[in-house]
Amino acid sequence: MVVLMNRSAAEYQPGDPGWAWAAYEPSDLAPWDLARAGHLYRRAAFGAAWDELQKALSDGPQRTIDGLLRPQADVAAFNREHDEYETSAAGSVNELRAWWLRRMIQTPHPLLEKMTLFWHSHFATNAANVNDVRLMQRHVQLLRGQALGSFRTLLQEISRDPAMLLWLGADANRKALPNENYARPLMDAFSLGPGNYTQKDVSEAARACTGWFVLRGQLRYIDREHDSGVKHILGQKGSFTRDDVVRIVFEQPAAAQMLVRKLYRFLISETEEPQAELIAPLAESFAKDYDILKLIETMLRSNLFFSEAAYRRRIKCPVEFALGIVRGLEGMVSTTQLAQDLANLGQNLYHLPTVDGWTGGPNWINSATYAGRHNLALALLQGSGPYGGKLNPLLIARKYGASTPESAARFLLDLFLQGDPHGGMALDAGVYDAVLKTAQAPADKAGNDFEDRLRRFTHTIATLPEFNLT
Amino acid sequence: MFHTRRDFLKGALRASTLLSFAPAAPSFLVRSATASPRRDDRNTVLVVVQLSGGNDGLNTVVPYADDEYARNRPTLRLPAEELHKIDSLIGFHPRMEAFLQLYKDGFLSIVQGVGCPNQDQSHEGAMRLWHTADADHPNRQTGWLGRTVDGILSPNRTYAPAVFVGPIAQPFALNAKDVIVPSIRLPGDLVAAQIPGQPDDRPQSKRIAELPRANRDNPLLDFVRQCATDAYTNSLRIEAAAQTMANTAEYPPYGLAGHLRTVAQLIRADIGIRIFFVELGGGGIGGFDNHANQMGNHCALLHQLSESVAAFVHDLRRDKALDRVLLITFSEFGRTVSENGRRGTDHGAAAPVFLAGGKLRTGLVGSHPSLTDLDSGALKFKIDFRKVYATVLDRWLGFESRTVLDGQFEALDILSV
Repeated sequence: MVVLMNRSAAEYQPGDPGWAWAAYEPSDLAPWDLARAGHLYRRAAFGAAWDELQKALSDGPQRTIDGLLRPQADVAAFNREHDEYETSAAGSVNELRAWWLRRMIQTPHPLLEKMTLFWHSHFATNAANVNDVRLMQRHVQLLRGQALGSFRTLLQEISRDPAMLLWLGADANRKALPNENYARPLMDAFSLGPGNYTQKDVSEAARACTGWFVLRGQLRYIDREHDSGVKHILGQKGSFTRDDVVRIVFEQPAAAQMLVRKLYRFLISETEEPQAELIAPLAESFAKDYDILKLIETMLRSNLFFSEAAYRRRIKCPVEFALGIVRGLEGMVSTTQLAQDLANLGQNLYHLPTVDGWTGGPNWINSATYAGRHNLALALLQGSGPYGGKLNPLLIARKYGASTPESAARFLLDLFLQGDPHGGMALDAGVYDAVLKTAQAPADKAGNDFEDRLRRFTHTIATLPEFNLT
Repeated sequence: MFHTRRDFLKGALRASTLLSFAPAAPSFLVRSATASPRRDDRNTVLVVVQLSGGNDGLNTVVPYADDEYARNRPTLRLPAEELHKIDSLIGFHPRMEAFLQLYKDGFLSIVQGVGCPNQDQSHEGAMRLWHTADADHPNRQTGWLGRTVDGILSPNRTYAPAVFVGPIAQPFALNAKDVIVPSIRLPGDLVAAQIPGQPDDRPQSKRIAELPRANRDNPLLDFVRQCATDAYTNSLRIEAAAQTMANTAEYPPYGLAGHLRTVAQLIRADIGIRIFFVELGGGGIGGFDNHANQMGNHCALLHQLSESVAAFVHDLRRDKALDRVLLITFSEFGRTVSENGRRGTDHGAAAPVFLAGGKLRTGLVGSHPSLTDLDSGALKFKIDFRKVYATVLDRWLGFESRTVLDGQFEALDILSV
């Protein structure tokens, strides 16, 4: 990119941790512009409405990030209300899926829901195996409760979560038959990752976890089933219990490193594995308190986050793809239908494929799911059909003063892709012009009006490869 | 037109600048070390037909010459004169005349006495075992076909390698860690659609996806652009295949036949799908699970199976596509040898597996299990089902079965490839 080449090496060094994690300050070469505001809202939220982007531009990056991390609104009240909706919903997982999507769309704290979704994949469970709607509801509530809190507390709570134990087949931990079904993912997928523990550590941790059962959906501790003998776990020796295992796991440097790497993929870039020295300062700081919000704050405020090295360097998950359209057009659609359509695209909420969660990245997209995304966008943007025409690009364009075909088209490109090719990190100029040109086609014989043409134009935007990236 | 997918890809490679990934592949393109390497670029296709509920193998391929059969089946016994005789010992069920013809023509094989060690008596447990192909870990979280697709088609996998066709929840055999396996009912479910009555915007979307980008250092963008291009190209190919089939293919009006018709259309579209999965019997318990008054329901299901598979085979034969296709059937278990006093049968063990296709070497594989040497009233298996899977993976699809099945199972020498 031309802009990039003009920069001195001292200013853009994505591999240098000092530069990368220093707080971003707008400059002539890296201005606080629509592209960066849109980027922030795609990563830290589920996309933005136009007035949110405008407010971000006038507030500047610091205040905008403050608002995303610690919103003024009464988030607790909002979530209490939605918890009640969930509870009173007659009790199918399909209803939970729909309510969660609605919460993602309406929440005053989108980063909290975004991180709840992150943990949903990290602590992957599947309702089909748990077979208890209430337990699944409580499981996601547990994730939400600590989504921006303490990783240590979160793992402690997950370790006594009936839904998790049932899904993994770890609901009976007998002294005579230590069950490794929880001990293994605890060390592998949940905290340390492969290569940072041994089979011996797993079997000893399984002994420490004996005595814990899930009986009729309730966690129970049966003392006579607990093996109180001495265990050797990750270099430590003692008559450890389950809580000790979690404590010992968090004393390993690998625990912080693994999570920082995973969040790097989630918030910064999934194009390449970051070098160890880039991860090190964040991991060292995170290991002190396992404070998730603090870690995320460092990442979101960083030079690296607002640089080309992060811009459109992740593939949107289906939820991000769909909600980006919904949030941008400020409508509310049937989330029951949406949950099913997202499941067909590979992201079935409450039903993770394996304990490794959604591995995502390029796995989200192939020619079949691309066609599926094309069709979902088409359904969302159609004036009728399963989504009932609840989204209307023309109304939104007019709301913000873009009422001619040309200005409405430019507005929609700015809303969804911050497309102005003169703004630095922008859409490719040739692509921008080609898309814009599609709006200038003369009205067809079928007499499709302005509204329909803007629906189709918005669909053209949503089917752009760039729209599938975040 | 291109004759094979390989020709098509070669053409696409010449025509497209998109496929040029940087020589040093970014980390996301490098698959895990456990992935099973793809041995060659075959374009063979596997179609798996699940018979849900536990099919009574004894009344499917009937050992009519064995007196024990008549003795154990006082009401469910099928009269020898009504059977479609395979040889002097066994014959097909009276409603499976189409299978006999396929067998005579060399398009059908019967693998006798297939089953598994530690047979689970519950539908769920037994089906789980056939789906995971892992006898040691009942909690295994991936299916055998899911592991297969996770391991193959790297590094630049831009198309869906497997598809489930049917109205029920996707069978666990396809559960993968990484790959998203679509569930569809009709070929159109894989087509990027247009709004009826409005101009077709798809060529325009494809053209914009293909426009060169000035900034060329984002491998993710190149990957997604290639997927977009393929999505629109494949949509046209699927629609074209639908038109070729519209007037010629004849399928009976059964659900399974409709699903196989969808499969045939997608095979003709040649969009890279190597594995198809369809189902007969309704998904959960039911279908082939006939504990009482088995006769009528079983007759109907076997007739549907036989007619549907025959229609599929005849359809694919017309343009020589059959040589690329291998179909296999399986059920979670067979039934008890003796009927249960309610004109039905209970959960059993070993049963025959059918193979259909254009590259079969042997009609009859293995011998019929003994009707007197039983295990809890059920036939003992002679061929481990994982040998059938190994045959399909190693000899047909050309993928390493060892990594998928966690061990070496000897492939059966029954395919002429």
